[in-house]
Amino acid sequence: MQELLRSLHPLERRIIPFLKNNATLADLVKESRLQEVEVMRALQWLENKEVLKINTQTKETITLNRLGKEYKEKGLPERRLLEQIKKKKCTLQEIKLEKTEINIAIGELKKKSAIQLEKEIEITEQGKKLAEKEWPEEKFLNTLPKETKNISPEEKNIYEQLKKRKDLISTEETKTRTITLTDLGKKLSKEKLSENFVESLTHAMLQENTWRNKEFRKYDVEINVPKVFAGRRQPYMEFLNKIKFKLVQLGFKEMNGPLIETEFYNFDVLFQPQNHPARTWTDTYHLKYPTTGKLPDDLIVNKIKYAHESGARTGSTGWKYKWNPDIAKLLMPRAHATAVSARQMVHGIQVPCKYFTISRVYRPDVLDATHLIEFNQLDGFVTDKSINFRTLLGMLKHFAIEIAGAEEVKFYADYYPFTEPSVQISAKHPKLGWVELGGAGIFRPEITETLGIDTPVMAWGLGIDRLAMFKLGIKDIRYLFSQDLKWLREPRIL
Amino acid sequence: MPTIDISLKDLSTLLGKPITAEELEQEALLWVKGEIDGEEGDILKIDCKETNRPDLWSTEGMARALKPFFTKERGIKKYETERSGVYIHVDRSVDEVRPYITSAIIKNITITEELLKQMIQLQEKMTMTFGRKRKMLGLGLYDFDKMTPPLTYKAVKPTEAKFIPLGFTKEMTLKEVLERHPKGIEYAHLLKEYDKYPIIIDKNNVIASFPPIINSEATGKVTKETKNLFLEVTATDLEAAKVAINILSSALADRGGKIETVEIDYGKEKIITPDFTPKKAKVKFTDIERLTGMKFSLKELKELVERFGYNVKKAKDSLELEYPSYRQDILHPVDIIEDILISYGYNNIDPVIPNIPTIGELAEFEIFCESIRNVLPGFGAQETLNFTLTNKEILFDKMNIKDYDCVEIANPISSKWSCIRSFILPSLLEFFEKNNTQEYPQQVYELGEVVIIDEKAETKTQTLKHLSWMLADKGANFTKAKQMVDYLLKGLNLEYEMKEEKNPSFIEGRCAQILMNGKKYGVLGEIHPQVLKNFSLDFPTCAFEMNINELFKLKQKL
Repeated sequence: MQELLRSLHPLERRIIPFLKNNATLADLVKESRLQEVEVMRALQWLENKEVLKINTQTKETITLNRLGKEYKEKGLPERRLLEQIKKKKCTLQEIKLEKTEINIAIGELKKKSAIQLEKEIEITEQGKKLAEKEWPEEKFLNTLPKETKNISPEEKNIYEQLKKRKDLISTEETKTRTITLTDLGKKLSKEKLSENFVESLTHAMLQENTWRNKEFRKYDVEINVPKVFAGRRQPYMEFLNKIKFKLVQLGFKEMNGPLIETEFYNFDVLFQPQNHPARTWTDTYHLKYPTTGKLPDDLIVNKIKYAHESGARTGSTGWKYKWNPDIAKLLMPRAHATAVSARQMVHGIQVPCKYFTISRVYRPDVLDATHLIEFNQLDGFVTDKSINFRTLLGMLKHFAIEIAGAEEVKFYADYYPFTEPSVQISAKHPKLGWVELGGAGIFRPEITETLGIDTPVMAWGLGIDRLAMFKLGIKDIRYLFSQDLKWLREPRIL
Repeated sequence: MPTIDISLKDLSTLLGKPITAEELEQEALLWVKGEIDGEEGDILKIDCKETNRPDLWSTEGMARALKPFFTKERGIKKYETERSGVYIHVDRSVDEVRPYITSAIIKNITITEELLKQMIQLQEKMTMTFGRKRKMLGLGLYDFDKMTPPLTYKAVKPTEAKFIPLGFTKEMTLKEVLERHPKGIEYAHLLKEYDKYPIIIDKNNVIASFPPIINSEATGKVTKETKNLFLEVTATDLEAAKVAINILSSALADRGGKIETVEIDYGKEKIITPDFTPKKAKVKFTDIERLTGMKFSLKELKELVERFGYNVKKAKDSLELEYPSYRQDILHPVDIIEDILISYGYNNIDPVIPNIPTIGELAEFEIFCESIRNVLPGFGAQETLNFTLTNKEILFDKMNIKDYDCVEIANPISSKWSCIRSFILPSLLEFFEKNNTQEYPQQVYELGEVVIIDEKAETKTQTLKHLSWMLADKGANFTKAKQMVDYLLKGLNLEYEMKEEKNPSFIEGRCAQILMNGKKYGVLGEIHPQVLKNFSLDFPTCAFEMNINELFKLKQKL
């Protein structure tokens, strides 16, 4: 008992003096002058402590609704119509009812065979009889409010019919709660409640040292507490940061570029011919505004032009067409992160070097669980005199192990307009199985030699989103850019 | 890029050896940069990644490239041709619209279901990808026995010529074809700017074709009864036209047809097509060694290239090679070196992890952004990552402000994604809108990219990083937002002042601009109730947004 007394919450203390068998919730609210929620909370706590039992009785009451109340005064529309035509038949236009009532009145009277409907509405013999007496539904409406359990079998059908009519009657469920005291409860109600328990330790109590003689109320430590949310980093951003740190560890330097790019950096520098199918309307976004940007200085532009048209002095035949600077000037949302590498190479690099970027790119596609219309690409390049196809494969394998945790890799010949040889790498992930990890290759000499880079440059791009989805435990790629706050603030410590 | 359907049975017949999908997938398809995309009974859907090798986009082409892989066949496959005596006169009137034509005649061919399917497919893929949607190149097959040579390729006025287009019963002028025939409507834009359209016409003035739109019903119908085929390619580029006619005629020869050449008379010059004379290339041993990172013996190299369909003419210091006339993807010796590597097998190469001593580093600005991003969760704010694509309604109308210039997409997939955001606040309000049934308080932020217009910039725009923070709660107010800004700017050691701003997105008198040395770097305040209603929000909301690029610049000056 002492334990119990110590654990009582102030609300519980305030309600205990009023506890008796069969007391209702309403009684307790009235007597304790607490709010209903407070009383309810206290009763639930007390129930948990096996002091009392809460009994809930549910009661369904049928009451008159808005129209029901109105008709109680005026009479049902069908009654009013019948009264009107009892004396004299009338046309539809002559009916003295609200617009909304006419159809119901006619319908109900027809059901009762009380009227004949031709050009005019006329009362039948049956109707005349009906006009003289009270109808069962009227009788029923007059008995409301009424509990559903009290309706007679005859009334049941009437009730079902009336329920279908709009705003006529309504059925409300009300709950009555009463309490039954347990033996413990009976004892408790006789106890004198000490005022000496402290609810909260206060600043003043500490300052004045008054806490010494007090006893603290005991808490129910098993009770559920309301949720809290931590403010935290976006999970995909955290994943990308981890990738970035891995790359920095591997000696890569971060580079960046603008979201809106000229086709020059998106395609031309990368030796993609201007009539290449990948440059057409459907595969990339184009801008309505602004439409054209500027090209870098003529020296570079002319070199690129020369490479496209005739291969410059790189030993290439070039694409053999007339290169158009106006196409190169067109602006577009960056279509691939290799555009960032292109920009970096044009603006100058020192050999050897290793670069990477995580860049937002745009593609016109459907937005669904497996496609995004804007997403991040991880791309980069490495140049050194030691670069060749074997070191390219070595670097890719290294990435697969370090970044994707792969156990095994497989290489496939692939095609990219800007690399030759080109390769695609698949990695065997311990949980995901074989996944396409990325593409790479050695930049075509038409690109690098044109830009004055005389060591081979290996370019690579890794598809990390599948890996991110695996790490974040999501099946829908849109969750990388999740707008689902519930999911974002779920407790998750990786 | 093109995806083609091939029948495994048909491929086996052409290879002369039964083959399974597994065998193909294991190794052989790597040779042709193919990937099985789907399988339906005997039909394989193969994704052809090599955009520059239309010679591989048919079962015949695949079989030709794979034969040395499965058999002892080596080098360039030989195609015998005979002269047909047929010639095509090219009238100078086509110079402007579509100057080049190449042609071939295939005799004694047995037209099978598979042949027809492959020809239709090859024709479609070649004109779409290689032919740039018929703009650069178009082609046609005809029943040769219904034509009377010699032929003329010329351009006429749109109403000057009439014929019944394939699949129709009524005669139409060229103009009518462009207006009414489905292919005419689809490709009319290719001829829009010309006042004369190309036609191929025979000795009896029967129109065979209106390239690159449609063939005629009179000659263009190829059925199982057809014995001899006439082929033509029209193009804006002669090289492409030559490659295409070689690809078509070699594919048909692979199915038993006899190739006969056609003489094309350009007036000044006459050419004979198809011409299977191999093309020549030279690759230095040192280049091979340098790019592959491997040393090969001469014997090894010879075997590798011959297996990949090259003839070796000479091998001393460099490989002097011949390669098939239908290959047009070889621009540079590196293209041949890749073939050598594929022939060797990528997975037979021993990878070497490069040892290049460089120091890795994050971009300084990114480090700055990260340090700011890491502060906000300490205040209970949840970081978000939102799309930069949005629309003017969200950027301006719902924010209660007049619209101004922003980046607009010309070909959006939906009007919902038709602009790139110029500030982040609307993204966060939209985020709240999607979560208005979740528990409050809600506190979020994003430090991400926005794009603003800058006429002077190289790309007419500036990509900037903004930080935006927002709190929705019964106690959200101006003070809370100002406290956040104050903490951040003090933390960065930046002196700032605030001045009232009239901004319809915020409650009047509760909005301030953040100023440093008299210049505006951001805005903060209580969001206007109308804006909240526009985003279906019921909780008071306060927010700020700052230009992080500018803060970084100031910080660097300290």
